[in-house]
Amino acid sequence: MRPAHRVRLAVCLFAAFALFSMARSAIAHAILLESSPSLNSSVGGSSIPIKLRFNVRIDATRSRLTLVKPDASTQALIVAKDAPADTLASQTQGLGPGEYRIRWQVLASDGHITRGEIPFQVTRP
Amino acid sequence: MARLLQIFGFLSVLFRGATLSFESLTIGGIVFLNFVVRSANAQSEAVNQACLRWIRRSAVALALMQLAYILASSLILMQSADMTLSDVSGANFVLAGVLAIASALIIAALAGAQPAKNYTLLLFPAALILVSSVMTSHAMARLDYRLPLAIVTALHQGATATWLGGLFYLLIAIPRSPDNQFARQLIARFSKLALISVAVLATAGFLLSLAYVGSIPAIYGTSYGIMVATKVVLFGTLLLLGALNFQIARSPSGGSVIASLKRFGEAELGIGITVILTAASLTSLPPAIDLKTDRVSAQEIAARLSPQIPRLASPSVQDLPEDVYAAEVKAFDVGTLSSASFVPGQAGTRPNTTAEKSWSEYNHHWAGLIVLAIGLLAFLAQTKHFPWARNWPLLFLGLSLFLFLRSDPETWPLGPNGFWVTLQDPEVLLHRIFALLVIGLAIFEWRVQTGRVATERARLIFPALVAVASALLLTHSHSLGNIKEEVLAELSHAPLAILGVVAGWSRWLELRLPSENKVRDRMAWLWPTCLVLIGLLLLNYREM
Repeated sequence: MRPAHRVRLAVCLFAAFALFSMARSAIAHAILLESSPSLNSSVGGSSIPIKLRFNVRIDATRSRLTLVKPDASTQALIVAKDAPADTLASQTQGLGPGEYRIRWQVLASDGHITRGEIPFQVTRP
Repeated sequence: MARLLQIFGFLSVLFRGATLSFESLTIGGIVFLNFVVRSANAQSEAVNQACLRWIRRSAVALALMQLAYILASSLILMQSADMTLSDVSGANFVLAGVLAIASALIIAALAGAQPAKNYTLLLFPAALILVSSVMTSHAMARLDYRLPLAIVTALHQGATATWLGGLFYLLIAIPRSPDNQFARQLIARFSKLALISVAVLATAGFLLSLAYVGSIPAIYGTSYGIMVATKVVLFGTLLLLGALNFQIARSPSGGSVIASLKRFGEAELGIGITVILTAASLTSLPPAIDLKTDRVSAQEIAARLSPQIPRLASPSVQDLPEDVYAAEVKAFDVGTLSSASFVPGQAGTRPNTTAEKSWSEYNHHWAGLIVLAIGLLAFLAQTKHFPWARNWPLLFLGLSLFLFLRSDPETWPLGPNGFWVTLQDPEVLLHRIFALLVIGLAIFEWRVQTGRVATERARLIFPALVAVASALLLTHSHSLGNIKEEVLAELSHAPLAILGVVAGWSRWLELRLPSENKVRDRMAWLWPTCLVLIGLLLLNYREM
């Protein structure tokens, strides 16, 4: 085999690996470790602090928290700027009794988002 | 929209894999030029020019792939997360990508400048590419020991690029050397550099494992741990090849020495890229140390791997539930997908039903029977006493038909989804590509085995495809949670992939090594052995 052919073969091999690889290339996906309120918990009071802790640093300015109310309407929550690097925090006001859900969406440092929901119940104002 | 996101997600994965490969080629080439070739004189002119040419090409390809990756990922974010362009443009991955693109273009310009005499300058943008890569790594996302972990990650990636990327340039440089003495000088210098790189990457890898895995049960109990173990086994194979090369490099001169070195180098490079891609897969998983619950125990593994009678009867298509991805999207929309972390655009976390598991086991077991037959016939063919056994590649046609019919029961011809859906769903498309690859494999290898094709390139198709398919197996998609079934599936797929990689490259070496090299005879028996073992493992594959 001539040198040019050998090089072409090596390049084809390299390219084949790169192109056919279905590498799960997302890096540092964030996963939820703990939350307050916790999953399916009951909380009292109309003003509830929200805190979601992840396994990695998250890009809080590009992450979202949404409250889904008992009547299925949604309210975007303001994400606190002073929370720790792995935490998404906010505060809800004026909640009545009922079934709520917190929808979260975080951006990790690699540019990949993860999402999830935390259902909880408010027992009394 | 969900399908569109899936396609962009699939593309961004391809771009990422290509980016990592070109990153290694660019950095490896620059290090090779500076520390192995070292000088720019008349004697080394042809080597220098070839290296510079490939550095330039790799850098341009890196910049293009990185740009495509940023665009695909940005589109995914804008479509799935309601982000604006200005939101996305300040994100960390965009900044890291822009740094890599700028550095790669500087390298391309410097490498193309005539006359290029000072190669030291190229090291600075190469270092910046490494910085950009570390910016999106696990290290930078950690809360504790961020700086030391970032340094160790940079050392790990830099050493890998130096070794494996450099190897590519060694293969280019050897045939362009003015004489054998110059070639041996290059080989001796590269051997030293490779030794140092291996020591650095092994030490750094060990430290990263301590930080991200942390315990023995996390190695076999989590997907992350299993992928680390797979990487270590492949690394061991690389070390073995490296040791053979090292031994040859120090043996007295002979006609076949350089030829053997080049052949081992090819296999080393191929396995090395598999390791890089495994590492890319690894980084998509949450570190094992973060997943404390739901780990698989040693008892559960023993129970799953204990031999049982293969399942040769299948459930009917009607017993299977609806498409996994559609079910997941629906679950998210109605709010029943609550506690798990979920990646938009990726298929998900719904546990498989008993019918789905039986369907999958049946597929694996029949495939195992076919592969076992292939391995045994290949064994017989190697003895030269049974010439009819050389027709063993035709059995792959049966495997292809089987895969085509059974892989995706919800699509044509067994299910309600039409043929064109196969082009929209990345998973189905991948299975169909696989089926086509297997047909190609069958035809080419049958022609090779029966003496209808004598050209070297055609003979290399079988080992190349086996190696590529095995690399694919290591990058099969998985979800974020530490779901036990996912981990157990990973445990059974990892050995299959490793055996496939060894089978592919041992056949490659059997074909490529000079006849004087005794290792060639051992390789001739190694790959049929791997095929037999793959068949046996598939026959004992279980999902429940």
